[in-house]
Amino acid sequence: MEIQDKMIDATKEIFSTMIMMEINLEEITDVHGPLTDTITAMIGLAGKRKGVLAVHFPYPVALAITSSFLMMDVEEMNDDVHDAMGEIANMLGGNIKTILSENGRDIDLSMPSTIAGSEYSFQSDKDVEKVIISFSTEKGSFMVEMDLEK
Amino acid sequence: MGKNVLLVDDSKTMRIIIGRSLRQAGIDFDNIFEAADGIEALEVLEKETVDIVLSDINMPNMDGISFLREKSTRDAIKDIPVLMISTETGDDIIGEAKSLGAVGAIKKPFTPDKVNEVLGPLL
Repeated sequence: MEIQDKMIDATKEIFSTMIMMEINLEEITDVHGPLTDTITAMIGLAGKRKGVLAVHFPYPVALAITSSFLMMDVEEMNDDVHDAMGEIANMLGGNIKTILSENGRDIDLSMPSTIAGSEYSFQSDKDVEKVIISFSTEKGSFMVEMDLEK
Repeated sequence: MGKNVLLVDDSKTMRIIIGRSLRQAGIDFDNIFEAADGIEALEVLEKETVDIVLSDINMPNMDGISFLREKSTRDAIKDIPVLMISTETGDDIIGEAKSLGAVGAIKKPFTPDKVNEVLGPLL
């Protein structure tokens, strides 16, 4: 199974078991433009494979996910939203580690971190293999991005 | 007398979700204590009566493995069971956690049914 297929399965599992939100696969690509009114949660991989796993959520999608996660209305971008998005990146990172690592010991995960802004670019200064998967929700689309050093 | 649980996870969101999953699984605790890392968890265990700990592994300041190692050196709390709830489910890391006293592991993401299946027999 290709890594992108496992990323799709892992994302769908997180949304179906813990967020209770329906998502649908939109497209798989290797490039995206500047991100606008978006929060990005990312987790670094170090060791046998090096790279970054990132999830890019436009604000309305991030608010809807956090509301569903916490089972309460969240209407502004606050610490809870950053924490919830970071936890999604953390869960996806754990899955990716399992996919890439033989025994769980040859790849280390960083703590999740988040950035948010009205417009920014997200790109690596290394030569990376990039997989970007976009999913649709009722509130809009979001992307899961894996950048692995070649 | 009811039981008390300690949830250890640096994510407040995840602590809320685990607490909710316990209720959805029909597992009632008298008190749900929370800690954001291993250091806070040790402080809670030294102060409160806790029957079981549900702990993440990948945390800042003191991670779940270091928490287990430190806890195992303290006579007053070393026998309190710890169940790992983590994205880290590789054989090596779970094996290390079990060698330090962890009684099992639940992989994130999880369902309330999974929590009940693993945690139920431990109570």
